[in-house]
Amino acid sequence: MQYATLNTSEGLNQALETLLGDLLDKGVVEAVMVPTRQFHKRVVMQSLIANRADLADLDPFAPVVTTNAAKQVAALTNRPAGRPVAVVLRSCELRAVIELVKLHQSHLDDLLLIGLDCYGRYENNAYLALAAGDEHLSATFVAQAASGGGTTLEGVEITAACQVCEYPVCDSVDLRLAVVGAEPGKQVWIEALTDKGREALASAKLEVAEGDPDGRTEAVGALVAQREAAKKQLFEEFTAQTDSIDGLQDALAGCINCYNCRVACPACYCRECVFVTDTFRHDGEQYMAWAEKRGLLKLPTDTTFYHLTRMVHMSTLCVGCGQCSSACPNDLPIMELFRTVSEKTQIRFGYVPGQDLQEAQPMATFHDEELDEVTGQSK
Amino acid sequence: MDGDLKEASMEETNIGRVLVVGAGVAGIRAALDLAEVGYRVLLTDSSPAIGGILAKLDHQFPSDHCGMCKMLPVVGREYASQYCMRKGLFHDNIRILPFTEVRAIRGDPGSYEIDLLRRARHVDTDICVGTGYCTDVCPIEVVDEFNQGLTVRKAIYRPVPHNLPNMYLIDANACDKCGECVKVCPVDAINLDAADEELTTGVDAIILATGTELFDPAEFPEQTAYTRSPNVVTALEFERLISASGSYDGTLRRPGDGATAHKLAWLQCVGSRNRKEGRDFCSSVCCMFALKEAVLAHEKGPEDVETTIFYMDMRTYGKDFYRYREYAEEEHGVRLVRCRSHAVEPLEDGQLAVRYWDDAAEAFVTENYDLVVLSTGQRPPRAAVELGGLLGIEPSEAGYLSPVGFEKVRSQREGVFLCGSFMGLTDISESLTSGSAAAGEACKLMISMGKEPKGEPVLPAERDNVRELANVAVVLCRWNHGKLPPNVNLEDLAEMLLKRAGVGEVHIVDELCRGEGYDKALAVLGESQCNRVLFGACLPYIYRKRLKNMAREAGFSPTFVDVADIRGLILRAAVEKDIPALLRKVRSLLTVSVEKLKRAEPVETHTMDVEQKALVVGGGIAGMRAALSLADRGIEVHLVERTDELGGRPLRRLHYTLDGLDPKALAAETQQRIWEHRLITVHRNAEVLRSSGSLGRFRTVIQYGSSETIEVLHGATIIATGGHEAATVEYQYAQSDTIVTQGELEEGLATGAIDPKGLNKVVMIQCVGSREKGAHDYCSRVCCAAALKNSFKIREANPDTRIIVLYRDLMAYGGLERFYTKARGAGVLFASYDPEAKPRVEVGEEGPVVTWDDSILGQPISMKTDLLVLSTAIEPDASNVSLGEILGVDLTQDGFFQEADSKWRPVDFAREGLFLVGTAHSPSPIMDAICQAEAAAQRAYTYLSKPQVTTARVVSRVHEALCALCEQCITICPHDARSIDEQNHKLVVDEAACQGCGMCAMVCPNSASEMLGFGDKQIMAVIDASLAELPQRLY
Repeated sequence: MQYATLNTSEGLNQALETLLGDLLDKGVVEAVMVPTRQFHKRVVMQSLIANRADLADLDPFAPVVTTNAAKQVAALTNRPAGRPVAVVLRSCELRAVIELVKLHQSHLDDLLLIGLDCYGRYENNAYLALAAGDEHLSATFVAQAASGGGTTLEGVEITAACQVCEYPVCDSVDLRLAVVGAEPGKQVWIEALTDKGREALASAKLEVAEGDPDGRTEAVGALVAQREAAKKQLFEEFTAQTDSIDGLQDALAGCINCYNCRVACPACYCRECVFVTDTFRHDGEQYMAWAEKRGLLKLPTDTTFYHLTRMVHMSTLCVGCGQCSSACPNDLPIMELFRTVSEKTQIRFGYVPGQDLQEAQPMATFHDEELDEVTGQSK
Repeated sequence: MDGDLKEASMEETNIGRVLVVGAGVAGIRAALDLAEVGYRVLLTDSSPAIGGILAKLDHQFPSDHCGMCKMLPVVGREYASQYCMRKGLFHDNIRILPFTEVRAIRGDPGSYEIDLLRRARHVDTDICVGTGYCTDVCPIEVVDEFNQGLTVRKAIYRPVPHNLPNMYLIDANACDKCGECVKVCPVDAINLDAADEELTTGVDAIILATGTELFDPAEFPEQTAYTRSPNVVTALEFERLISASGSYDGTLRRPGDGATAHKLAWLQCVGSRNRKEGRDFCSSVCCMFALKEAVLAHEKGPEDVETTIFYMDMRTYGKDFYRYREYAEEEHGVRLVRCRSHAVEPLEDGQLAVRYWDDAAEAFVTENYDLVVLSTGQRPPRAAVELGGLLGIEPSEAGYLSPVGFEKVRSQREGVFLCGSFMGLTDISESLTSGSAAAGEACKLMISMGKEPKGEPVLPAERDNVRELANVAVVLCRWNHGKLPPNVNLEDLAEMLLKRAGVGEVHIVDELCRGEGYDKALAVLGESQCNRVLFGACLPYIYRKRLKNMAREAGFSPTFVDVADIRGLILRAAVEKDIPALLRKVRSLLTVSVEKLKRAEPVETHTMDVEQKALVVGGGIAGMRAALSLADRGIEVHLVERTDELGGRPLRRLHYTLDGLDPKALAAETQQRIWEHRLITVHRNAEVLRSSGSLGRFRTVIQYGSSETIEVLHGATIIATGGHEAATVEYQYAQSDTIVTQGELEEGLATGAIDPKGLNKVVMIQCVGSREKGAHDYCSRVCCAAALKNSFKIREANPDTRIIVLYRDLMAYGGLERFYTKARGAGVLFASYDPEAKPRVEVGEEGPVVTWDDSILGQPISMKTDLLVLSTAIEPDASNVSLGEILGVDLTQDGFFQEADSKWRPVDFAREGLFLVGTAHSPSPIMDAICQAEAAAQRAYTYLSKPQVTTARVVSRVHEALCALCEQCITICPHDARSIDEQNHKLVVDEAACQGCGMCAMVCPNSASEMLGFGDKQIMAVIDASLAELPQRLY
């Protein structure tokens, strides 16, 4: 691997601004999509920046992901412009992009993919509160996390999804902003994983070294191990809670059919969900028949059905970003449910979402012997 | 039923009618290919069931599944029931008479008169509901032929347990008329005194497909172990032994004691390849059969199963056969032992000692096995003599009524055609190809005599109230046979139904299936104000079609008609004597059916115009023949040939055949007919540049030279791109003029450039650059026959020439064995070599010296030779790659075209409307190429014969507002029916190609893929209605 060292003594964001600005100036890309502070300087949203001067407010290391940017990447490239753009993403966003590419919702031809190391994000409201008290929250957060001080600030923890995320580092990218293992107050690394990435480094006139940066592999390994342990614990706890139909119904009882989780999910790509179509607009006669049959009919109906259906469609593709839980107004454990089930379905099909563009999605592939292998049934 | 026969022949005097004798797969294929055009087919079988041998085989190579249903029509599929073919066949234009024999054939083509004898079944299969009580009480047990005698059956039984309808039958030879079955039959379906019936009918053409016979090892002294040990079984017995419907529920056990079998051996060539016993032919199918069975043993048997096949030559000569052998050896560890003699000796513990000569050890070796399978082969069927007798045709020396010249499916009598293994020693795919070809010949004959296909019936307009609120009319059948259980009466059911929202009328009609009941129901429905009809009747697989037709006659759209089998349910459930449960089931079935109808959406079929023209790519013998065959049916054909000469390999490189036929004369004559045919346009020096469209409406641009193009519209495409002898650099080929290929030898002998008089020693090496990983990893099929042919040619001119053929497996399959025997008798030497230790060649001053490791002497032999002949592979044409891309069809990894299914749709592509013949499919002898050409022409004609095709009602559709264009449905569609319309950014469905399988609807997460007739709302309503009658809640 090739990598260059970025001096960050002036600040992480400033170093990044220089790098991305160079890519714009040299014409490597015509625009940059990067999380950027908005007008009142607290809310951070992905922004497509075509003018170098407007890079001044970029803040990709802000510990918040207001929405998984995979959908924005899809919007930008579904019918591609044919003009090069650099996009700055975290691994949960990048992995979702890969899935959307396989589903023909997004295309990579125009993109220079820049991955960020990620220590996690806060829920949106918690972030706003923390950011109100610390103008340099991004730097504070990254510095504390990188020095082994953990990810809790002012007693606030990163999201449950981030605590169990075993992918803090992006793999399928052209360039990677490597923070884990570095001293972000002084310097971070930028690693080139592809030819496209190496060419970009070359045009930015950065001094390139071969090999892995010192101490990086160990630092990443330690972080992943910590996350894996937390994940194991989460699965055990959640499984114990939902190992019966009653337990599952109880966990989902508060669902109000708002479908926020589906809107927030980066992999849910339907133009209109079947649950908002006519199929689920029932006649009065139907409600009465259900009530008579069961004695009691919880309203609204089709809630567990909705989550199970979404799980059938999405569990093999779930990248674990946790946006579903963040979007739920009633704190249902959607992320926990999807991650627990996905772990099993993904292993069953030998599929790792977001990893390899060449790997076909399980639902769209059909192998002669699959029924035997997956279900254990014999012909 | 017999009335139908006569009525049909009187009313439809000019409608073409064909008798197909034998309802095995070849006969069924022929019948379907005629029925799809619209001809009437009478399909008889002397056995009580249809399906022939294949009804017994659960697994076929290469998929190791059954795939018989792939024979069913894909366009116009609503004329046939889409049912498991091993259960039965139902097609509007095919009348099936099982248990019927042909007694006499009189007359000429166009006016054959046939006497049939229909044997009494003693069970009325229209009435029987299959309770099986009769079998339970029958006191008589005899061996069960279906399980090859491995189990017993009663005198009243189902000859093929999975056939539908309930095809019970009394074995008159075994029955002692005790009458117990009559007493217990709840529906009075049994008549012990029924007599055989004689029928006479008229047909225009006859297709004989009575199938093969297999050797019975008990008849032959060389396999005494078979009669002495139950653990020695035939290949077909093994098939039943391991079948899920066989004796051990699909586990691998030996019949002697039911113990799990761990070590199994197959002995090849039992009953065949034995000149001494007058069986000088190869059965053709046993090598693949044994390989498949060994693979099955690994899949179904215990973990530690060991399988060994003892063989002389492993004849994997067909398409992908050799790959399957590699798969069996490499993936499953099937052990292949080439040996010249073997003997089986039963031991006291049930084990079997197999003794054979081991070449490597140079000694006899004895190994013990749990189970020994004798690969008993096909033999010429004795029916050839009988049917030949009826027709006044003598079977040939080989025991068959065909071929006549190059024509495999023609007999010496005009209007009588042959197919399947009755025609010769064939496997499944060749049987089906010949079935289509025989149908094609019959079809051409009928066209030449002015016989017509049946037209579409004229029907009254459909009701216009379909968009009104669902209003279901229920017609309940009150049947005469069998009493209703107490507390069950139709009036109560009627009352229950009338209370249900959406049910407008309930009518109870006596005996719907009989004439009077049918008329009454038709009258009632004619006056009905409803817009949907539910019949509560019986046996829907027989009557659904008929009742739907009745409702259609009364103006109801077929999508709004359904049949619920309440009678079968009541009669079966009555056994349980649990009346509340029974009532619940009947109510549930009726309400579910009502809900299903209520939510059914109107589905219009529409017709698509068919351009009644064909494009044939490739002007070799197969392409020319396919073009002629279609043109003879009145179809305009465009024939595209890349060179400036028609005729292909037969014209250029083949000069004679093993059986003394003249390929050049054939090519010349065919070419002459092509030039003279007013319906054929030949495009020489031309290639296909691009092509778009689908079945019925292809648009193809043909390019001449490098600039001039023309556009052709056509409804079907036949690919006949051929192949050629591969070049080689092996064995010092380039180093000497005395090293030639087999094709160059033939050319040299024919032109006189090679003079046999000057040849003292000739060595031929087979499989040069063939059957090797990375180098033509397949058998080219024709090279062994060419080696034999050219050996004879040399020896004819110079009987003193010593000829040595170095081979791996001599592919003298079927009748070729005779020539192999003859060559050995004439002194041609055959020595096998191991691909790991190929022969070596050095070119010296005096010509090539060949050295090989002789397996018999166990040491290397060197020989100076005057001529070294290399049998190189037959390669597919290199243009296949680009042509495949242009036409949107796949190639195999070897570069041949990939058919839809190697067994069941051998000349069709998966993409509808395209077909493949000749070497485009795989290397094949001329006779087989011709047979394929005739088959493909008939398959194409089933589409091209009508100016329009009607799409099926169950097809998928795209709800464009919902579609996210993720293309998962395109990836998963097994029929290539879906594609992206790039220009309009939308997904489109080819409704002719769509088979309504529902894979697209399954994979689409938001129902943007819809199955017409299976809406989400409808299915959920059906599920709810089903759950409503359950006694407790599920969750």
